[in-house]
This record gives sequence, structure tokens and C-alpha cells, in this order.
Amino acid sequence: MEYLASTGVLIGIYIILATSYNLIIGYGGLNTIAHPIFFALGAYTAALLGIDTGLPAVICIAAGIGVAVVASVALAVTTLRVSGDYLLIASLGFQLGLLQAVNNLDFTGGPAGLSNIPLTLGGPARGWLYLMITAALALVVIWLAQRSMAGPFGRAVRAMRDDEVACAALGRGPFAMKVVIFAFGCGAAGLAGGMYAYYYQYISPEQFNVAQSATILTMVVLGGLGTIWGPVIGAFVLVALPQAITFLQLPSSLVGPLQGLIFTSLVIVFLFLRPQGLVGTPVAGAAP
Amino acid sequence: MTEKLSRRLVLSVPAALWAGGAFAQQKEPFRFGALMPTTGPEAGYGLDFVKTYEMAVKDINDNGGVAGRPLEMIVLDTQAKPELAINAANKLIEVNKVSVIITAWSSVVKAVAPIANRTATLELNMGANSPDIANLGEYVYTVFPLAEVDVTALAKYTREKLGKTKAAVLYINNDTGIGGAKIYRDVFTSAGGQVVAFEAYDPKATDFTGVLLKARVGNPDVVHIHGLSELPQVIAQMRQLGMLQQVTSYSSGYNPKLLAQLGPAAEGLIVTSLAPTATTNPNVAKLLDLWKQVGRAPNGLPYLQYAWDSTVVVADLFAWVDKNKLPVTGENLRKALLEIRTFDLPMTGKLVVTDDHRIKKPVYLYVVKNGQFTPLDTIA
Repeated sequence: MEYLASTGVLIGIYIILATSYNLIIGYGGLNTIAHPIFFALGAYTAALLGIDTGLPAVICIAAGIGVAVVASVALAVTTLRVSGDYLLIASLGFQLGLLQAVNNLDFTGGPAGLSNIPLTLGGPARGWLYLMITAALALVVIWLAQRSMAGPFGRAVRAMRDDEVACAALGRGPFAMKVVIFAFGCGAAGLAGGMYAYYYQYISPEQFNVAQSATILTMVVLGGLGTIWGPVIGAFVLVALPQAITFLQLPSSLVGPLQGLIFTSLVIVFLFLRPQGLVGTPVAGAAP
Repeated sequence: MTEKLSRRLVLSVPAALWAGGAFAQQKEPFRFGALMPTTGPEAGYGLDFVKTYEMAVKDINDNGGVAGRPLEMIVLDTQAKPELAINAANKLIEVNKVSVIITAWSSVVKAVAPIANRTATLELNMGANSPDIANLGEYVYTVFPLAEVDVTALAKYTREKLGKTKAAVLYINNDTGIGGAKIYRDVFTSAGGQVVAFEAYDPKATDFTGVLLKARVGNPDVVHIHGLSELPQVIAQMRQLGMLQQVTSYSSGYNPKLLAQLGPAAEGLIVTSLAPTATTNPNVAKLLDLWKQVGRAPNGLPYLQYAWDSTVVVADLFAWVDKNKLPVTGENLRKALLEIRTFDLPMTGKLVVTDDHRIKKPVYLYVVKNGQFTPLDTIA
């Protein structure tokens, strides 16, 4: 069924977003909330290239990844010398400023967005083909995240997160490591954006606003910050659960509030009872 | 014998009617989907749309349904957000097996359009007025007039009938605002007027002093504001700045709540409406009576009139398909729409669907006089 495939594609896209965001915030300890703008850069680059040049989708999506990586490096070299609250504010400024630009430029379609993105992989099996591609890409991103975080580089990144000065004293360059994981994470967000644009064939600035940060962050926290499988489970739960509620045959006036109630209750319950998330292990000295 | 027959006949007619009615109710219903914001900031309108659909569906079913089959509506929430609408549309099409979906809000209509075109599902817009909606593909139609209908009429009226020569155009920076403002500017200019200011404001803005002062510099004799729920604040701040020019707006301004919020500052405001009132159409009075049973005044009555009528359009499409013994598919419903083309609708009157995916409707102009919307003119 196309509906299941469509939900699966969305879960796959959010797995890529949550896994890549987890690398930045969970492993790297970089408090940024600009992830949706890299998602947007990937989506808009792929969509505009597809519309204006007619290039194959693979090339357009690759270009989207490239633009997201370049933009992330530009942000990283100017802001990653600061951390904590300062980085948070800098990333918020980047997110809001760039989205305002997208919202006000003619070639991006302004607030109306882009609705004539070319159809790729037509036919009755379109949804399933997209699901297979998205699932494969999500697995690649998870594998890369797992491989990079399991080795010496991953240990150095975690050391940097826990004590940047001590890490530097051991001869590691924290700044270069930050740029690398930031570029990798944002590039993956660009990949998710390209897939999103080609699958849904419609993008507008409001799909990439700062509320997306909250959604992706909740996926990461719910599943387990700084774990490989946590964001995967978080993305699955937060995309599938609202869909499942629509099958309960409840009045339409109840479904929305119920979805909101379950979403916020999950966040509160996990923050108090299981702050390490679904798959995380309790940290010594942390609140139980 | 005759007496016996008559008695049997008299007894059998209600029994047959009851049995027929029960049979109709047991028959497979004609299902359609509705994607509306039942939560989120737009839920005030969305829930009232849904309530009106329910009233219309009940009215149709109470009158025998569609070709003896009941009409059934499945509503899914979109929060007026495109990303939620996409999955909801997929669910309606793939799980609930609907062949026609009613949508509103420009970004939702646009987000659902590729799915409608891909799956050959008829999408009917009943509340969004972005001019782009006419170009979204072969399965996307509107039963609600797009911005060019009322904004064109208003701009021409302001220039030619009211004799205004210099206009300032202020608009909300979203799809609706940009599209409507551009039409107003182009029509007013081509009619010989001059647009002295063309300024956008952020949809989340609460202070409009900057754009209002820019407008004041041009010394306009009319200010057209193409906004949504923030319209009362813009007008109130304009009056506070001493700008006493004539203000015009489109159908979103035709709302009794605006009068309550603005008080005397609303005097002279000219707005458009795309639907007749209860005084000129008794069916509207019937709708208002139904709303009295709900216990409160509805939000945006003209939009609700279109909500009711879009349900009637859907019922007419199903009836045509049934009459022609065709399977209920989006393709056949689209065929029905183009074959019927002219609909005589209870709440908004005649509707003609044109080949360019637009519709023709008269425009009603109102001016605020003594705290009331007073008819100003009707432009056919």
C-alpha cells in the first residue's frame, strides 16, 4: 500500500535527520538548532536544479548535499569557536536568517514554495521504490555514524564533548573534529532534504522552520542521545504513533488534541523517568 | 375489497419507505475525504468547516442520500501544514479509498496536488484563493473563487467607481498575501491608478508601524490591506498614526469579529464577499439556524457557505457517476465535474467551472456603516 510506503519514506527521512543531528548534538555536544535549514538547503537545491535544468535526480540530490556541506562549513568556521549558549544563539540566527531569505526570494517561490518538482520513479510501485532507496540511504547513514563513532575518531569526539581542554591537551584538534562532524551531519540533512523534495514534489519554507528542530531533537532525546539506535527508534515512534492514532476511529476534534497530548506526555515522562532515552544506558551520577 | 386494498396500500407505503430508507442506509456509502485543520492556529476556521460539512452531509442523507446511497465524509487533521496534509492525503486515498478530497489553505492544496495528480484522485479546493491553484494539474479544481475574482473587481471598483488615484498596498508575506496584492497592484495600475507603496509584513508581526509609515509617505487616497487575522491590528495602528484614508480588503475582512475588535475604527472599510447573505438567500438563514443549535456564531460565514456547497458538488458528482453506471474513480469524478460544469448551489448560487480550472462567481462589496456591513455594490 502506497500509504504504508509513504509513512515508511517519512520515517526513513527522519531517521537520516535524527541520526545526523545526534552526531552533532549527542556525540559532538554541539548545541545547534540549525539542522532544518540544512534540510531545506538540500531540498531547495535539488528541487531548483530539477526544475530549471532537468538534470537527473541523483545529481540534483548530490548537489543538495554539496550545498548543505559548504553552508555547514561556512557556519562552522565562523561559529564553532564558541560553544554552549553562544553556539545555540548563532545557529538560531543562521536558521532564521537563511529561512527569511528563502521566504523572500523570487526564485525559491517565496512563501508559496516550489510545487512543480519533476516526477521521478513514476508508476504504481513508486512509493515502494522510494521506500527501498530511503531505507538503504538511512542504513548507510547509520552505518557511517556507527563506524565513525566506534573507532578512534569517535572516542576523540566523545572526549572533546566531555572535556574540550583535556582533549586538546592530548594532541587532538577539537576545532577540526567539530567541523568534520558538523559537515557530515549537515550533509546528511541535505541528503534527507533532496529525498524529501523529490518524493513529495512540493516544498515551502514553513516545512523547514525552527519547529522542525524541536521535532528532530525530541526524536533524538526520546530514543537516546549519543546512541546509534536511539534516534532510529525515536524517529519511528514519533512518525508512526500519530499515524496509528488516526486509525482509532475517534472524532476528528479528538484526534489532534490526543496526538498533542501523547507527544508532550512522552517527552515529559522520558525527561523525568528515563532521561537516557529508550536505548541509552544510565550515566553514573545522572538523575535516574 | 377496494377498502381492503386501500388499507393495505396505506399500510404498505410507509413500510416500503421505511424499508427503502433502511436499505439506503445499509448500502455502501459514497465516501469523500476532507483535509482540514482541526487543531493548531487555524482550527477556529477548520473546525467550523468540518461542522458545516457534517450539517450538509446530514441534510443530504436525511433527504435520501445520493442515488439511494448515503454520503460519508472522512476528515483528517492537517493543522494547515503541508507536511501533515501529504500523509493524511495518502491515508485517505490508500486506506480509506476515497476518490475525491476537499481541501483548503493554499499550502495544503499545493502539497496534496502532486499526490492527487499521481493517483488520479480529484482534489477540490473550497477555501484557498491563491491564483496558482489554477495551475496545479489536471486533477486539481476549485469550487472557491481564486483571488483574481474579487480582488480584480475591488481594484477596478476603487479606481473607476470611487475615483481613487493613489493606492498603498500592504500585504501579509505569505502565499495568499503576495498573490492578492500583486493582482490588486496590476489591476489598479492598468486602470490608470498609481500604487505609491507596495509593502509586505511578516505573518507573525504585531507591530505594523514601519510599513504604515512607508505607506503614509506616498500620501495615498486608499490603502488596500491584503491580510488575514491580523487585519484589525493593522487598521487600528493605521488610525492611531492618524492615517484616515479609505481602507479596502478582500473576503477575509468580511467578518463580524473584525467589527467588534475595531469598533468605530472600522467605519468606511470596504470588503468583498463571495457569497450572498441571509437576507438575499433563505438557505443561508437555514444554515444560520443550524448554527444556532450549535450555540455560537460561526467563523467566516461566507466560507462556510462554500463548505456546504462543496459537499453538494461532491454529491452531484457521485450522482452523475452513478447515473452513468461508471465506477467511482477520480477519473470519472473529474469527468463528471467537466460534464456537469454548471452547478446550482443552495448557499452561494450558480457555479460555473471553466476549462482553465477556475470558476465564475459574482462579487458582493460591503462597506462598514454605523458598525454594520452594508451592501455597497454587486459585480457580476
